[in-house]
Amino acid sequence: MAEHHHTEVSKTELLQRKLEIKQERKQHTISFVMMILLTIIAFYAIWSDKVPNTFAVLFILVLAIVQVFFQLYIWMHLSHKGHEFPILGIATGILCAAVTVAGIAAMIWTT
Amino acid sequence: MNLSERFTDTNIPEHPEKATLEGKNKFVGFWLFLGGETVLFATLFGTYLGLRHMHGTGPTAKELFQLPTVFLATMILLTSSLTSVYAILAMKQNKIRAMQGWFFITLLLGLAFLGLEIYEFNEYVHEGHTFTKSAFSSSFYTLVGFHGGHVLFGCLWLISLLVRNWSRGLNLYNAPKYYLFALYWHFVDVVWVFIFTVVYLMGKVG
Repeated sequence: MAEHHHTEVSKTELLQRKLEIKQERKQHTISFVMMILLTIIAFYAIWSDKVPNTFAVLFILVLAIVQVFFQLYIWMHLSHKGHEFPILGIATGILCAAVTVAGIAAMIWTT
Repeated sequence: MNLSERFTDTNIPEHPEKATLEGKNKFVGFWLFLGGETVLFATLFGTYLGLRHMHGTGPTAKELFQLPTVFLATMILLTSSLTSVYAILAMKQNKIRAMQGWFFITLLLGLAFLGLEIYEFNEYVHEGHTFTKSAFSSSFYTLVGFHGGHVLFGCLWLISLLVRNWSRGLNLYNAPKYYLFALYWHFVDVVWVFIFTVVYLMGKVG
């Protein structure tokens, strides 16, 4: 019991955490609505056939990249402190991924 | 605090997933793993991008894809990503039942997504778009199927997590496990955002 008592959290801290979680939930819900909107916009840009094709492709790619930032920074908490190594890891991954996609696609295109 | 001791509302750490050394290591290690997974999917995306017009005698992407079905699948997966983040918020407040409930909804949505994908692939096969039909079809099934495999693995992972820890309560031992599952699930959703854009939407443009 003595050890138990040691890890007890104070009432003010509990209240503070509660407020933080409330704030966080709001952020998550906002980013969800944003992602749904971005998906609908991308879908509509292609489905309606009203946007010129080359522009539409660039446009939907940008929308996808914006969505990735919402996922990584808000839902996967990369914006929280203590995420230096995760950011390093995933950024290295994304960098290698970009080179890989461009490299492989280019090799096939030129042959 | 003992590893298997149930958290109480007043002794739960602010970040239960990172309160032990093991939890911290799992957290960093899993992010590095996700970095590797990104490259793995990149190889499949690169191959698909290079081969997507080589449909031979088979149907083209434009003839094949049914955007409304895929749009529905996207919405389902996006919603399941939200419910898994709600589960993690409940975990941080030691609300085990709420967490299990949100994870259960996540699981149902994941299974619904898989059902739609199986239905979709079945339709395609009936239209002559089989795995060996063309370079386009092979690279399509490899990329999209590999993602579907990730969703299936995620569902099995979640089922075993929930069943194994159903009556245990939250503790230092299982909190990191739930947290990592949520990270994995978000990652699978990120990959899908790109599949939706690069494979399906761009397929319609040509």
